[in-house]
Amino acid sequence: MIDRFSLSVAIRHLLFYKGQTLLTMGVVAVSVTLIIFLGALIGGLQKRLISSVTGAIPHVVIRQPERQPVAAWEVAAATDGTLYLGERVKLQQQKRKIEDWQIWEGRLPSYSENIRAVSPVVEGQAFVNRNEKRKAVSVVGMFPEKHNAVVDIQSKLVRGRFFGLNGGEAVIGFKLAEEFGLGLGDKIRVVSADGNVANYTVAGIFDTGFSVVDSSTVFVPLRDAQSLFGVGNAVTTIGLKLKRIFEAKDLAQQIALQVPYETRSWMEDNQQLLSGLRAQSQSSNLILVFTTIAAGFGIASIMITSVVTRLREIGILKAVGATNRQILQIFAIEGTLLAFFGAVAGAIQGIALSLILYSIRTQVSETGRTAEVFPFDLTPDLVIRAVVIAVLVGLAASWYPAWRAARVNAIEVIRGV
Amino acid sequence: MAKQSGEVVCELKHVDKVYEGAVPTPALLDINLQVRRGEFLVVLGASGSGKTTLLNVMGLLDTPTSGQVWLAGRNAADLSEEQRAALRSRYMGFVFQFHYLLPEFTVLENALLPCNIVGKQMVSANRERVKELLERVGLGDRLKYRPSQLSGGQQQRVAIVRALANNPELVLADEPTGNLDSKNGFAVFEMMRFMNRQTGTAFVVVTHDERLAQEADRVVVLEDGRIVKDEVQRPAMTHEL
Repeated sequence: MIDRFSLSVAIRHLLFYKGQTLLTMGVVAVSVTLIIFLGALIGGLQKRLISSVTGAIPHVVIRQPERQPVAAWEVAAATDGTLYLGERVKLQQQKRKIEDWQIWEGRLPSYSENIRAVSPVVEGQAFVNRNEKRKAVSVVGMFPEKHNAVVDIQSKLVRGRFFGLNGGEAVIGFKLAEEFGLGLGDKIRVVSADGNVANYTVAGIFDTGFSVVDSSTVFVPLRDAQSLFGVGNAVTTIGLKLKRIFEAKDLAQQIALQVPYETRSWMEDNQQLLSGLRAQSQSSNLILVFTTIAAGFGIASIMITSVVTRLREIGILKAVGATNRQILQIFAIEGTLLAFFGAVAGAIQGIALSLILYSIRTQVSETGRTAEVFPFDLTPDLVIRAVVIAVLVGLAASWYPAWRAARVNAIEVIRGV
Repeated sequence: MAKQSGEVVCELKHVDKVYEGAVPTPALLDINLQVRRGEFLVVLGASGSGKTTLLNVMGLLDTPTSGQVWLAGRNAADLSEEQRAALRSRYMGFVFQFHYLLPEFTVLENALLPCNIVGKQMVSANRERVKELLERVGLGDRLKYRPSQLSGGQQQRVAIVRALANNPELVLADEPTGNLDSKNGFAVFEMMRFMNRQTGTAFVVVTHDERLAQEADRVVVLEDGRIVKDEVQRPAMTHEL
């Protein structure tokens, strides 16, 4: 229970000694500003880094496991001395495909609420030919509306359209378009590795910011890719987009037990990036811990000075009947109030600073696409956490001075003058 | 309201106080003293004679090495720290050589400080009485002043009203005039005497000024921690406030 007398003395003291109050609040405010600013900046940089890796790929890919041919002498039955005769034939490359993809497309979302989107895809390597020019590209056949939930193309369109793509139409990256001098309505000829040929009309040009995608990916309707790569009615992969991307590995393992295919998450392909991110998170946490400790020492030292300069006051309060608990509460309340209002001021500063810097944009592509110079990830969670931590540190930092104040011997301080 | 005189408000029985250290220093030796309601008692003695120690022991700010201190019919040795604090705030008032007013509070708030420590009810019960006391000491028009806006004598008067705020049985004053010039010092002493007569609160005033002692009902002289003289000069009187 907060003592009314302690509260009134604490508030009155804070208001009376405005300079000291503002100084202490300033120490807390600067720390909280730093915590929010650094936390948002590091979070934003990590998000940007992760999105630069995962933005253009599904978080989990489901595909047919690769079938390895087995030599006759490696078959277990061959060891019993039986002689097997066979014919050496040139096998066509085995197509790794998922025939029953429609079943899994329907079932997968029910396997985990973490799955945000499912996109069946036919993907293969091919060449784009135009006027003697030739370039290896990746052709992605998909349903634009479904695939856009996995890899956002629609909002990255520079010209034309992506949704409602018709048969015989393709959407290409701006770099590929520039390289071949292509515009909307121009024709391209695509030749698959098997020698199948298809002609497409350019219906859209995009700028995703991912160099590989912008320079060598061609999006076509699923049916067109199925016939180009000769997979019949099947798809080659099913891509998943997740809500919580760091659970991708676990989810991939879980799904692997539920589907008759192999699964692979983005995390398995980017181990180095992940360990880099972890190291970055740890160092940023270290900075935040030291900032918080510095703020705590700031409050503690000012509060200790306050106790020393108010010894006579404490002595007289005790002499006229204030209990140790009341004295302790005066200083604990002061520390907590200083930390709280300092933290609120710091939070406002931190938010303002982050938003101002976040609004600075720079052009990152020749198509005119811009991006933030400082990619802040400012979340209410971060702000609340910073304020709560500051208040707890304030309370903890004022505990020792408060305890010292409560132990003041009234006689000694009164006699000491 | 005036209190009935005669009843014992504080009693010291065979009290010794020795300050421990490399060489133990006896400050009080076998002190036996009864303070009665309405009494105005002056404790005289040279520096180091144990006057302040006596006052601190009576005020439960210090504990005796041996002997008993009885207040409000209770042996102080049986009380917890919280109970001692409660007794200080309800039963006693203190005046020190320095006023020790809180700079951030007004005159009225400083005077009401002991009531505030106890609680809101105590404040409302005593607010009007404290205002009246402040008026009687000539500070009725300065209720909202800060201590820094008052003279030394005025600050000490506020400290005396503060000591009386909870309508205590006993006021303990340690050299209350020591920090004032003789004119102001005498005025403050007179004021305490006046308050004693008006309220019937017992006063124990430590001083080394023998002139002031002439105004007291009873004079106790300390020498090297012992009471060497305990003389009643006149019977205690009370008047309606």
